[in-house]
Formats: sequence, structure tokens, C-alpha cells
Amino acid sequence: MPARRWIRLQRTPLERPKATVEWAELIGRVAAHGDRDAFKLLFEHFAPRVKGLLMKIGTDADTAEEIAQSTLLAVWRKAAQFDPSSGGAAAWIFTIARNLRIDAARRAVRQARADQPGLIDDVDDIVDSPEILMTRGEDVSRVAAALLRLSEEQSRVVRMSFIEERPHAEIAESLGIPLGTVKSRIRLAMSRLRDLLDEPT
Amino acid sequence: MTISHHPPDELLADFATGRLDEADHLVVAVHVAQCPACRRFAGAMEHLAGAALEETAPVAMKADAFAAIMAKLDEPQPAPRADVPPPSALPDEDLPEILRRCRFGKQRRVAPGLKLQPIILPSAKQSRAFLLWSAPGARMLQHSHSGTELTCVLKGSFSHEAGRYGPGDFDFGDGDVDHQPVVGPEEPCLCLVAMTGDLELHGLLGRLISPFVRL
Repeated sequence: MPARRWIRLQRTPLERPKATVEWAELIGRVAAHGDRDAFKLLFEHFAPRVKGLLMKIGTDADTAEEIAQSTLLAVWRKAAQFDPSSGGAAAWIFTIARNLRIDAARRAVRQARADQPGLIDDVDDIVDSPEILMTRGEDVSRVAAALLRLSEEQSRVVRMSFIEERPHAEIAESLGIPLGTVKSRIRLAMSRLRDLLDEPT
Repeated sequence: MTISHHPPDELLADFATGRLDEADHLVVAVHVAQCPACRRFAGAMEHLAGAALEETAPVAMKADAFAAIMAKLDEPQPAPRADVPPPSALPDEDLPEILRRCRFGKQRRVAPGLKLQPIILPSAKQSRAFLLWSAPGARMLQHSHSGTELTCVLKGSFSHEAGRYGPGDFDFGDGDVDHQPVVGPEEPCLCLVAMTGDLELHGLLGRLISPFVRL
């Protein structure tokens, strides 16, 4: 049965909003009864994308693979914490991958430090706490509404700059616009987003 | 509590995508935890990131990746490590939850009416974080920054040219800022600060005492 759903998802790539709902449903099935078929679909879709996004922003292939695997393992373990009403399975999975990347980067700093002689290091037992997953409740619809009203052009530069972490010069080249325009477009997009988010719904 | 000063948008975006150094991350996190508007903004960034993830070209996982995860599914989860690090001189203040989980160094006096307590962040690369108490009415030395200074007010208030900063407010200073904050008269001001680089003190007094003020 899950296999059928998968095929349908692949055949209708244009119905993205619908697909998002389906991912949320699969996570719900993992949470409700440890559904391994549902989990496999999630793995096959998201693990290679997490790996791809991490490599795009300069993470080496091995680390990206490791973080992608840990991310999906966390999806299995934390499935019950996912709030389907947030409407963002992909956003949720991104936040897990992000936190794991922060952990990995922090471990690397500590490791490098521990390798230096003369520096005390009793930090291995420190709890990593990039506690930035936030409960948003009633904010969800406001965020969704604001993002819908951000122009495609604006959301693209924000994405390229902050999520794909591409340098402004590269964004300019890829969009075929002057460097100054990239900078002002990012600034405008951000302040527009602020304004939209502040509007009562 | 009315929060009227927020982190710059780009700093907040870097926070939401996990790109800040540990100390900076901590100060922004403390602000965001209290500020619904910034929480929405960070949430919006996460949604954009989710959309970007959906559109990312997949890179094949290793052939045995799925089997490796399946083998782990039934493993007992690692017992949550003692969640609260030993309270090492946790200051006697009503601190936000995020800070209660931090480890603190020793409190020390840096100047008259000014004391500081470092937060031990084992993975911070360039920035340091500390709590800073200033006496009511204190006039801080005029200073600028060679790096950046991120401040979140926890208690009391201070003012400088850009306005008044009360609990929850966030102040961002960098090399372009040269200011002289004045602490509100009502009560001592407690701030959480993340700093890279050094403070540069101005004026004759600043030059005289700067060797003694070690932040």
C-alpha cells in the first residue's frame, strides 16, 4: 500500500502542496505504529536530499552521508514530536539536519581543541543543546500566509543566500543581475518578510 | 514586556539556518525565545529551507545506508545524558531556561559598578559569551568594537543613541558603532553578551583604565 502511494507521488511532481501533506501522513504512521514501509519512503525521499543540500553548502561527502543517516534515524525516533498542523514535513526534517550539523561542527571544534596539547578538555560530556526548535502553534498560519505573499523572485534570493549559502557574486551570475541588485534584493526581501509576518491575519 | 529592538534580519537568518558561532547563537536564541516576531521570522526561514530541501538535487546515499539505519531502529535509544550540567556557580538570578543549562565560570569585577561572569562554551570559535551586571545609573565608557557585540537585556535597562533597551531587547554593535550606553536608574542592568574582537575604549579615562578593563 505504501508503495502505491510512492508511485503516485512520483507521478504528480507538480502537486507539491499535496505531496507535503503526504509526507506528514507518513511521519504520522511512523509515530503511530512504527510503520517501516512508511519510513522507507521517507528515507528514500529525504536522505539523498539532506545529503545533497549539505554537500551543496560545502560539507564533505562522508560527513553529509553521516548527517543524512542520523537525520533519518532521528525522524524515526522523534516522529511523535512532529506536529502535522505545522504543515512542514520538509521544514521539520531540515531543522533536524541543521541541529545535527551544528552538533557535528561543534564536536569538530572541540576535537581540534582537544588535540592541542596544554588545553584542558573536560568537555566530552557536555550536552549539545542547539535548542532552537520552537513551538509555533498559532504562528504557523501566519508564517505560511507571509511566505505565500513573498514573490518568487524574493524567496529565491533568500533561499540562495541563506539556505544554499551561495556567495552574492555567484547569485548575481546565476540570476544574471548585478551584484548590487542581489544585495538590495536580499535586503528588501528580508524586510518585506518582516512586514508580512507582522501583519495580523 | 514589550520588545522593540531585534537582531538584524541577516543575523536572524543565519541563526535559523544554523550558521552562527556558539556564543552568538546563544544570545540570539535567548532573544528569539522571548520574541514572537523573531520566532515567526526564524520559522519562515525554516519553511523556506524546507522548500529548498524539497528542490535539492538528491545525491545517492551509500548502498548500505538504509540497512545500517534499519539495524539501529530497534536499538535502545542512548539514555539521555544528564541533561543539566553541574551548576557551576549558576548566578543567583532568574535566568531564561536556555541559560540555566549553561556552565558558568567565575564571577569577577571588571571595573567599578561592573561585574562579569563568563559562560563556558567549549565549541565557540571566535566569540565569547558572558553575563554583565552594571550598576543603576552607571555610565559605561564610550567604546567601539573591533569585532561584533551581541547583547540581549535580561533585566533592567540601558540607553544609547539608538534608544532604550529593556528586557528582551537585542542590541547589535559592530565596528561602525561608537557608543556610550547609560544604565537605567531603576535597578542594576543584567545583559547577556557575545563578543568577538576587543572593545576599544575612548577618551582619556578610557585610555587610562583600558589596561585594567578586561572583558
